[in-house]
Amino acid sequence: MNILGEINCFGLCIKLSENAPIVGLLIVSSVALLAAGIIIKMPKHRLSMFVSGQIASFLAIISTFYLMKCEGMLSIYLYFGYTLVSSAIIFGVLRFYDRVMIKRLNAKPIKNILSWIQEFTGELANATVYYYDSAVPRAFAAGRSVFVSIGLLETLTNDELKAVLAHEAWHIRNNNCTPFLKQLAVMTFSSHKKDELEELADIFAAEIAGSEPLFSARSKVDKVFI
Amino acid sequence: MVKLDQINISKDGLTKFFSPIEAAILKSLWNEGEMMTSELTEKTKIPLTSIAGTLDRLVKAGYASRRVDNVSGRVRYVYAPVYTEDEVGSEITTKIMDSLVDTFGRVAIENFSKYSDKK
Repeated sequence: MNILGEINCFGLCIKLSENAPIVGLLIVSSVALLAAGIIIKMPKHRLSMFVSGQIASFLAIISTFYLMKCEGMLSIYLYFGYTLVSSAIIFGVLRFYDRVMIKRLNAKPIKNILSWIQEFTGELANATVYYYDSAVPRAFAAGRSVFVSIGLLETLTNDELKAVLAHEAWHIRNNNCTPFLKQLAVMTFSSHKKDELEELADIFAAEIAGSEPLFSARSKVDKVFI
Repeated sequence: MVKLDQINISKDGLTKFFSPIEAAILKSLWNEGEMMTSELTEKTKIPLTSIAGTLDRLVKAGYASRRVDNVSGRVRYVYAPVYTEDEVGSEITTKIMDSLVDTFGRVAIENFSKYSDKK
């Protein structure tokens, strides 16, 4: 069956099915929730709305596939293949991406040079902090590790560093659910709402280290801790 | 190291061979010897966000070296030039002369002799 034939088949099967209203309801809910996600201001609620919208889209896709009476549909095989490959990458490769980064950056445990940074981060999350040789101030989290450049260590005050570390610790604490969010975004062909996660990480960082150090760290080295 | 395809003789001074930020950093290092990142940003008046990437490149290219200083719970880079100004000048002129002799042969050598005579 060619793709045009498959499109006809999708239309026909949904039209003839008695479950068509359910699919319609799921699509309408999905659009409404995604729209609500854009309007709402609170990052936590915005994220919840967006994720609910993505779940509704995913259910709409799955129920559409369930209603298909045509056999050997290429689009369904392609979708499941795409889902399998993306799951393998998101839950397999990205989970251990910190191992790759340690090698690539030749990163070393920070406890060797500044033990308080490891102690501070260790209290917030089950994470190891590494430093690497670069003057470009930068911090990021991957797997169960936080990476900071020497450039960041020399640029920020200890209070500002604490704000950045708390931000990264939030990412590590929530690393159990972020792969699911990524997978959901991939399966529903919607973009991953990274901004909400960054805002939530900043709220946590402000609670731990104070909003002033967080603000001054951001103004000194904006966009360098993600 | 300086690449021949990056040389632009229409520019001024060291910026013929280096980017303006690279040139400013190298000049400061040649004048002062060892310098910290904060001193370099102050001296060159280039913001940290612009200077940091260039410092990484200069170290990688072998023009500058750096060590990590750990003083009372703070870490900082201390930069130093790897070559003197004369050594870098010698490397650049050798490269350009090699290229000129390779292209123009005898004519290039005759012109070098004229310079030598003038001196």
